[in-house]
Amino acid sequence: MRDDPVVEAVDLSFRYPGADADTLRDVDLTIRRGDFVAVVGGNGSGKTTLCKTFNGLVPHYWSGEFAGAVHVAGTDTWESSVARLSSSVGYVYQDFQNQLVRPTVRDEVAFGPVNFGLADHAERTQEALEKAGIAHLADRFVWQLSGGQAHLTALASVLALRPEVVVVDEPVAELDPAAAVEVYERLSELHREHGVTVVTIEHHAEFIARYASSVLLMSDGAPVWHLPTAEALARAGELAEHGIPAPQVVEALARLGVEGVPRSPAEAAALVRTAESRGALRRSGPRTEPRTRTTPAPPARAVAAARGVSHGYRSVGGDLQPVIDDLHLELLEGDRVALVGGNGAGKTTLMRLLAGIQVPRSGTVVLDGVDTRTERPHRLAERAAYLTQRPERMFLKASVREDVELFPRSRGVPDVDALVDRILDRVRLTAFADRDGRTLSGGQQRRATLAIGLAMRPALLLLDEPTASLDVGSRDDVIAMLAELSGSIACTVVATHDMHLVAEWATRVVVLDGGHVLADTTPRALFADPDVLARAHLVPPQVAQLGTELGLDPLPLTVAELAAHFTTVPLGVPA
Amino acid sequence: MSVARVQRDVLSVEWVKLELIRTAYATRGGLFAGMDPRAVVGWYAAMALAPWFTHNLTTVACLFVVAAAAVVLARVGPLVLGLFVIGLVLELVYLALAATLFGGDLTAVVALLEVTAKLGVLSLASLAAFVSLDPEKLSDALLALRFPPAVAFAVSYGYRMMPILVEEFATVMEGYRLRQLPPQQRGLLGWRVVVHWAVVAVKAFYPIFLNTAKSVRTTVEALEARGFTFATIDPRGRAIRIGSLRLGPLDLAVLAVTAALVAGCYAAGAQWPLHRS
Repeated sequence: MRDDPVVEAVDLSFRYPGADADTLRDVDLTIRRGDFVAVVGGNGSGKTTLCKTFNGLVPHYWSGEFAGAVHVAGTDTWESSVARLSSSVGYVYQDFQNQLVRPTVRDEVAFGPVNFGLADHAERTQEALEKAGIAHLADRFVWQLSGGQAHLTALASVLALRPEVVVVDEPVAELDPAAAVEVYERLSELHREHGVTVVTIEHHAEFIARYASSVLLMSDGAPVWHLPTAEALARAGELAEHGIPAPQVVEALARLGVEGVPRSPAEAAALVRTAESRGALRRSGPRTEPRTRTTPAPPARAVAAARGVSHGYRSVGGDLQPVIDDLHLELLEGDRVALVGGNGAGKTTLMRLLAGIQVPRSGTVVLDGVDTRTERPHRLAERAAYLTQRPERMFLKASVREDVELFPRSRGVPDVDALVDRILDRVRLTAFADRDGRTLSGGQQRRATLAIGLAMRPALLLLDEPTASLDVGSRDDVIAMLAELSGSIACTVVATHDMHLVAEWATRVVVLDGGHVLADTTPRALFADPDVLARAHLVPPQVAQLGTELGLDPLPLTVAELAAHFTTVPLGVPA
Repeated sequence: MSVARVQRDVLSVEWVKLELIRTAYATRGGLFAGMDPRAVVGWYAAMALAPWFTHNLTTVACLFVVAAAAVVLARVGPLVLGLFVIGLVLELVYLALAATLFGGDLTAVVALLEVTAKLGVLSLASLAAFVSLDPEKLSDALLALRFPPAVAFAVSYGYRMMPILVEEFATVMEGYRLRQLPPQQRGLLGWRVVVHWAVVAVKAFYPIFLNTAKSVRTTVEALEARGFTFATIDPRGRAIRIGSLRLGPLDLAVLAVTAALVAGCYAAGAQWPLHRS
C-alpha cells in the first residue's frame, strides 16, 4: 500500500437544503491510495452522504450548506464538477438497478466513455467488462440479468472511466449471499491487481473481516475512528453500539475466553484448538438442551398443501421457462417455515401459488381446505397474506393507518378502528400511523407491511425476504416480531437468504433448487449436511461453521449453544 | 359464483409487458430491423406523407395496401396490431353513428372515410417503422438528424422505463385486487364493478408515481456522474454515436422499392380515379 492520500477531507460539514441539522459534522478523514475501506455506522450516521462528497454529488448536485474541503486525487471537489470527478471516483448505488440506463450491457458500460467522447471508448468498454467478469454478458438486455449480474454491470459501467476510487454502497443489501461474495471477490481483485482504492458501505462484519483492510466508523455525521480491520474488529463492543455486531466467531471466542480476532471460522477453530491443547478450554456435553421440537407432534392440521405443482412463465422469446416442477409440499399448523435457495430457485413463485394469487399450470394447491383454482384471489386473501419483498410496493394509501385498515374495512369487519390500533401498537408504529409508509426507515417499513398482513388475519402468512436490506438492529427487531406472532398465525413461511434468520427463528427449512424440494428438514440438520448446502449454494451462520470445524454434536445454532459445549478452565488450574 | 382459474398466457398483464418489450426492442426481427435507422425514418416520412397529397381514393387505398404489407414484413406483434384494428373499427362505427344521428347521409361517411384511411396509412407506417427501431437506433437516428441530445435520450430512456411502469402498475392493481373487496352487487351490466376498477386505476397513480420518483433520483445522479450533461455540451460523444451508422444496399433497395410503389399508387390513381362526388 502506498502512503499518499487519494481522498482527503478537512473540516467537512454539510447540511441538506431544508434540513434542520448537519448531516456531516467537521469530518477530518484521509483514505490512502490502494486501501480497501469499509465504512460502517448505524442508519442516518451520514455514511452515504460522506461517500457522495467523494465524487462531487455533494456539493454540486445536492447544493446544501457545504463547509470545509474535500480533495480527491489532488483535485479540490469544490472547484471541479461531477462529470470531471467521475474519472477519479466511480459510485455504485445500493439500488443499482436504477443506475442502469441503457438497454444492453455493452451500451451501458460504454455510456460513460462515449458521453465523454473518449476515442478509446471501445477498448475501455471491453476492459471494464473483463475486469467485472461479465464479458460473456455484453449483448444481454439489462432486464434479463440476475441481481448479481446487474450489480457487476453497474460496477463495470463506472470502471470504464478508469477511476482510482470505487465506492460501493451496501452491495450485500439487495443481493443473495452467493452474488454478494462474487461482487466482493471482484472488488478484491480490482484492489489487489489493479491498485484501485475500494470504499464499501457495509453492515456485515463477516464481509468486513474477510475483505476490508481498514474500517471507518461513522456516528452522527462524523468519523469516530479509522483503524486497520483487525484492530477495528477487536473493538467489538463499540461496533455493536453502532449497530454492527461482531462476526459470530469473534463473539463466540470472546464468550469462550479465547484471545484473538479470527477473520474466518477456520481461524477461529484453530484458536479454539490451541486453547484446548493448552488446557484453557475443555469440552463438555452441552449443558442446555438445544432447541428441538419437544411436543410429540399431535396430528397437526394442514394449512396449505401443494400436490404435483408445476408452474412457469413465458420469456420474451415466447418459450415457457419452468420455475416450479412437480413440487409436493404440506405446511402444517404451528410450522415456522424458512424457504431457502438461490435466486431463481422458485421461492417467490411458490409463495404466490400458495397464497392463491396465481394458480399453477398443473397440479393443485389447497389453501386452508380450499382448492385455489375454485376461488377468487380476493377471497383467498382472507386465508393467506403475501408480503412482497419491496415494502413500498404494499403502500397504496397516503398513511400507514389507511393501508392497514384497507382490507378489514372493505370487508366490513366489526370494530376496525380498535383492531387497527391494536395491530399498530403491536408492531410499535402507533407514533407513525399517520405518516406515508414510503417515508419510514427500512425496519419501520417492514413492520408496517407486517401490520398490513396481520390486519388480513390470515391462517397462512407468507413473507418474501423480510430482512433484506435491513441493518442488523432492525433485522433482529423483525425476527423478534416474527417470533411473537406465532400465537395468532397458524403457519408462517419466510423466503430468505438470511441464514441467521433461519437459525434463530425457523423450526423447519424447505430448500428449493431448480423448482424441486431439495431438502425438507430442521435448520440444525440442514447446516450439518454439506451436500445440500453445496448444491443450494447456502452458507451456514459462522457459529454453525465453527461447530462443524470442531466436530461438535449437536451442531450449535447460536453462540450460547456453542458455549454450552465447553468449560472454561480458570488460569493456573491444571487441566 | 363458481370459477375455474387458469394461468393465461395472452391478454394478461405479464403478456402485455412481454409484448411491450418485444415491440420496443424489435426482438421479432423483420425487414426494417436490419436497416440503418436514418433510412427507416426516411422511409417512414415518405409513407406517412404520401397519402396527404391527394384526394384520390384509389391512390389512398393502394397506399393502405402497401402500408399493410410493410406491417406484415416488419412482423408487428399482436398487441399493437390488435389495438390498431380495434381503434380503426371503433372509429368507423363512431363515424357511421355520428353521420346518421346528425342527419347526414352516406356522403358524409365517405368524406370522413377518406381521412380515416389516410390516418390508417400513417398509423400502419408508424407501426412498421417504430416496431423495427429499437430505442437505441431511434435515438441515434434522431441525433444524426440533429435533434437535441436530451430528446434523443428521452426516447431511449422512455423505452427503458416502460416495462418498469407496467410492472409497478400491475403490482399496485394486484394490491388493490387482493386487499379491497370489489362491490358485491354488480349492478346493471356490472356497472358498479366497472366504476370500482376505474376509481382504483386512478388511485393507483399515487403510489406508482411516488415509487417511481424515488428510484429516478438515483438514475439522475448516475446520469450526471457518467457525463450525460457533459455530452450535451461536448460534440465528441455525438460523433462517436452516429459514427457507426452506415447506409447499406438493403437501405437503398428498400427506399427505391418504396419510392417505386408510392409512384405506382399515384399512377394507379391516375389510371382509375375515384373521387367522392
